[in-house]
Amino acid sequence: MRRPLQVTLLVLSGLGLLHASLFTDLCLRYVKPGMRPLLILSGFVLLVLGIVEAAVREGGKGHGRHGGPAHGAGPHSESEHHHGHDHSAVPRIAWLLLLPALSLLFYAPPALGAYTAARQPAKVIAEQDGFDPLPKTSPLPLTLTDFTTRVQQDRSLAIKARTVQMSGLVTPVPGGGSWDLTRIIISCCAADAQSVKVRIYSDSIPPANTWVSVTGNWHPGGKLGTKSAPVALDAQTVKKIQRPSNGYQDALPFPSG
Amino acid sequence: MRRTDELAVGAETTAVLAPPASGHPTGVEDPPPREPPRFWPFLLVAAAVLPGTALFLVGQGVSRAALQAWQTVCLAVIVQATPFLLLGTALSGAINAFVPERVFTRLLPKRPALAVPVAGVAGVVLPGCECASVPVANSLIGRGVTPAAAFAFLLSAPAINPVVLTATAIAFPGAPLMVLARLLASLVTAAVMGWLWLWLGREEWLRPAVRHTGHQQGHNRWTEFRRGFQHDFLQAGGFLVVGAMAAATFNVAVPRSVLDTFSGSPWLSVLFLAALAVILAVCSEADAFVASSLTGFSPTARLTFMVVGPMVDLKLIALQAGTFGRAFAARFSTATTVVAVLCSVLVGGVLL
Repeated sequence: MRRPLQVTLLVLSGLGLLHASLFTDLCLRYVKPGMRPLLILSGFVLLVLGIVEAAVREGGKGHGRHGGPAHGAGPHSESEHHHGHDHSAVPRIAWLLLLPALSLLFYAPPALGAYTAARQPAKVIAEQDGFDPLPKTSPLPLTLTDFTTRVQQDRSLAIKARTVQMSGLVTPVPGGGSWDLTRIIISCCAADAQSVKVRIYSDSIPPANTWVSVTGNWHPGGKLGTKSAPVALDAQTVKKIQRPSNGYQDALPFPSG
Repeated sequence: MRRTDELAVGAETTAVLAPPASGHPTGVEDPPPREPPRFWPFLLVAAAVLPGTALFLVGQGVSRAALQAWQTVCLAVIVQATPFLLLGTALSGAINAFVPERVFTRLLPKRPALAVPVAGVAGVVLPGCECASVPVANSLIGRGVTPAAAFAFLLSAPAINPVVLTATAIAFPGAPLMVLARLLASLVTAAVMGWLWLWLGREEWLRPAVRHTGHQQGHNRWTEFRRGFQHDFLQAGGFLVVGAMAAATFNVAVPRSVLDTFSGSPWLSVLFLAALAVILAVCSEADAFVASSLTGFSPTARLTFMVVGPMVDLKLIALQAGTFGRAFAARFSTATTVVAVLCSVLVGGVLL
């Protein structure tokens, strides 16, 4: 692989990472927010590597013929290049780096959504020992995980007859009449996505992947406070909302609803 | 023959890197070993992409959503791994350019059988995930470290460093034995694999590491560092993309629910979490959180997930194939999987 191409690869990869992490929120579609400083740093490192490589090449052209090793880098790498030694050449497989770089720059695929959630069983929620009394506010903002534990584990039945509010994205369910309010949670990157789901019964079914805020009451069935209770909600209101910038967490709905 | 060249990192191979006068005979010998890589990466790419494509076509027709999920997962693996790959390749470049060879011969015991466990324990110092350890191990071999010891380091470093152990402790609150079990099982696997290499390993499986020839007289160390770093990153990065594609293909084509059906049987669950670790290609700093969320499985099965994951996964196999050659990667990954599963079951059976 010729060196101008190496420069191109390095610069494009660096720009791609910087574009996704420094200038936009795109990286949050793929990794956790904690990775962001590392990505910005990596972007700069790659950019600098590319620029230095390009600069050294220019310098090499200037001094190369005279062969004075005074400036160190240029003449050596230049002679290496001219003698055609393949060892310093990068194998062709490095070309593949163009794919993620261009993808980040021009076509960043969307965050995981209904497709992934529909093909996964809901994440198993950990056992919780004690439950604090629920706050008095109504509607009561809850995360999907909290709602699930309240419904299936809280023996005090505090969730009964409460109006709760949750937000997430819409995952259609085959059969119709209901859908899943979903949050996709990642531990590391989007490759390990898991989803928490609450079945919603409402008059109309919003389109897949819409972000919504839902208020409603527990959908009765089974024995509340045990595994037999369905994690489901009879919706009173379903409102479209903006996708939060960090969608991969199970967070409370926005205060305004 | 090739290997002696590589290990004798003295004056002879120096000419290979960048001879100012190109008359040296070693330069002429080298084209043959470079021949196979011309086309086989493309076969690998095809192997990574085609089965998934075929599965989609046969299964449900290529839906737009599936394709997008594939792209997202693929890009996510690459984005997540890039900083660690940069760290690893920078370290490898630095070892190559700045660390004199005698440092390693002094630090490691002379006898390879002793050097293996020492190198395994030395893995504690590399605070990164598995992408970083492949280039580092490669440059260690280039600097005269016996391959068995370098492989022990390669396997143990991503699993037993403080960052990963802390993450494990956080992911399994109230289960300090899990941290201990992970440490022990990973160390034992690394050491066993090192000794196994001493016993059965053949040096011709390894592609000669022509790049890592150390500091040359009259060359600027910083330029050597920069060019080594850059070369290693571009090469490993290309293989990372292949590995990410393969991981994304399995990730999207084989839904988690298929694997979850095997959580019932204790033996199958161990094997299936090992398979999941290979397929998911989760970075070792985060796999403890994934393992702790797999609540349907036994502790031993989850331990297996955490021991196998940092040592064998699709992106790692691709990285190893790119760095050491595919003859090595195929044998080494298979053996490591078997040894890692056995060690996890033994350690898990005793401790958990």
